[in-house]
Amino acid sequence: MDEKVKRESAGFNRREFLKISALGVGAAALAACAPATPADVAPAEGGAQSSKQAKDSYKMTFVQVQPHTVSVAWGQGIEEVSNVQTNIEYKQVDGQGDPATQINLMDTAISEGVDIIFCQPADSVALGPSIKKARAAGIPVITLNIDAPEAHAAHVEMNHYFGAIDIAKAMGELMGGKGNVVILNAPPGIIIRDMRTNGFVDGMKKHHPDIKIIADQSAEWDRKKAQDVLSTILASGKEVNGVYGVNDSMALGAVDVAKTKDLIGKMVIFGNDGEKAALESIEADELSGTQYTDVWQQGRLAAALAIGLATGGISATSFTNQGHILMPYVIATKDNVGSIQAFQRW
Amino acid sequence: MLKKINYQSFGLVGFYLVIVIIFSALSPVFRTAGNFSNLLIGFSHIGILAVGQTFPILLGGIDLSVGAILGLVGMTTFDLMLIFGLPGYIAIPIGLVVGLLAGLINGLLIVRLKLNPFIVSLATMASFRGLVYAISGRQLFPGLTVMAIKDPTYLAIDGSLGHVPYALIYLIIIALITYFILHNTKLGMDLYAVGGNENAARLAGVNVNRVKIAAYLISGLCSAIAALILTSRMTTSPEGLGIGFELSAIAAAVIGGVNMQGGSGSTLGPVLGAFLIGTIYTGMNLLGVTQYAQPVVAGIILIGAVGYDQFMKERRRKELQAQLLLQSLRMKGQGG
Repeated sequence: MDEKVKRESAGFNRREFLKISALGVGAAALAACAPATPADVAPAEGGAQSSKQAKDSYKMTFVQVQPHTVSVAWGQGIEEVSNVQTNIEYKQVDGQGDPATQINLMDTAISEGVDIIFCQPADSVALGPSIKKARAAGIPVITLNIDAPEAHAAHVEMNHYFGAIDIAKAMGELMGGKGNVVILNAPPGIIIRDMRTNGFVDGMKKHHPDIKIIADQSAEWDRKKAQDVLSTILASGKEVNGVYGVNDSMALGAVDVAKTKDLIGKMVIFGNDGEKAALESIEADELSGTQYTDVWQQGRLAAALAIGLATGGISATSFTNQGHILMPYVIATKDNVGSIQAFQRW
Repeated sequence: MLKKINYQSFGLVGFYLVIVIIFSALSPVFRTAGNFSNLLIGFSHIGILAVGQTFPILLGGIDLSVGAILGLVGMTTFDLMLIFGLPGYIAIPIGLVVGLLAGLINGLLIVRLKLNPFIVSLATMASFRGLVYAISGRQLFPGLTVMAIKDPTYLAIDGSLGHVPYALIYLIIIALITYFILHNTKLGMDLYAVGGNENAARLAGVNVNRVKIAAYLISGLCSAIAALILTSRMTTSPEGLGIGFELSAIAAAVIGGVNMQGGSGSTLGPVLGAFLIGTIYTGMNLLGVTQYAQPVVAGIILIGAVGYDQFMKERRRKELQAQLLLQSLRMKGQGG
């Protein structure tokens, strides 16, 4: 409670600044995404108008995969910006981790006539037909973190691939350029899993070719499952010098195992995302590092972009190219984690 | 037949209508044709799974593997079309056969090894899901993760006839056929007999093993049909497709009046049960009920639905008891 108050009071000016900068960046991104002459572009199938009339109020819906730390923080970032507009009605709905449920929610949002849909697809291809349907209805879709091959208004993502390269670089340095690494991975079928894995593998090849990746197993994004997977690998007698959790929850699961087996300080453990618990673990000398992204800011950027599109009357059928925004990040380690302020910790 | 429909489903129909009226009154979007069309499209596959699930439950069993069978059939057809380049009209029947085979494995394990259906289907749920990951073309050929099914025959599965989605037409046909099987064939009579009292049915000459295998075959086939609909809609088959669907199917069947102890229930109630679940979630989304409160509210409403149905059945049972008592007293009076 105290921390929240402290965050809100001490960080107020900074946060306001971030909000304003988010709006600025959003506006710039909007300029990049939106066509110069919307009227010149022929409407896509469905015949929706390429520009819309001004309205008294606007509706935005976020179809998330399921409630989790990251999407909750995105939602808070979106709400921070949308709440001050007074004419924006924002809603966040639960896809229950199931693409079929997400499709139903997308269909409902289209029937509702919302002005913007934010979507984190549970599967990149599966949501394609729904995105196409939204586009035909003139509703711009903004994807968060997980892109979809079906063209839509814009994609705002953490820097998965390049961030993972930097994780590999930093991790290899702490390992002295040699040893064995285990990857605790997400289940297959999600693009960011591949980007975060490929970036890490490529980074190791480039910066630390003597480090071997001896296992790459799914722990289903989950801390408890990560504990079980790593314990089994260690029980097989393999020497493990480093663990890369594709998200922070799995990396913290590895930290739990390292604590019980007295391996803290002997095993380098990195996560990805940069959630508050991971940063605190770094400060406690347990987790070695993580890729930190300000997810609140990511939500604010997406909101700024969305509000610009909605109030600007820009229809989804106007776009000639899909916009793409990569979030800035830092590789947080013990050396620099203190520079991430309390109000930036989600 | 009409008497049976009224007895089993009237309470639920009334409850469903009340829910629809409430949501329609509160949300202008809810009462639009577009929203009802979405509901019919979005929950028909759950209805089909619930109809399939009805058969094992009628026997006092359960099929927890329906979601995994759905995933397996979806991945099989995906692989056949995108890895092996087979046309949709060949992939579709093979998919249906895979669903039947999965149901056959469940049935054989239950009758041959005399294992509990809960344990068997729990085990096959894990095995079939593991198989989905093992044969996933999206993993074997990573480029396929972002490649969509384009076969026109396959994509036509999830089309529509004017404003009526094919998925609803399949559901209606399946519900009517299975209703006919249950109430007008020997297999149907045997299913109720085995579900009511397995030993008595066996003594009466019913081939219990064959009936059990048939129930799981029907469940597997329904899962396969649901898989074809969903993968046609999504134009892909995610590895996790169908996870958790077994719970929705079981819930829809039970809400629809199928007795978990076996022996009573039919296939029209579960269809309504599936749409009741869909209506509640869609209505709450449109009303802006917070996502954390939705499962709680849905749970309360569903308990209300089952409770009301149970209350009506109990009242009817007591009325029948009272009538029988009255009749026997009259007969005694006449005899005296």
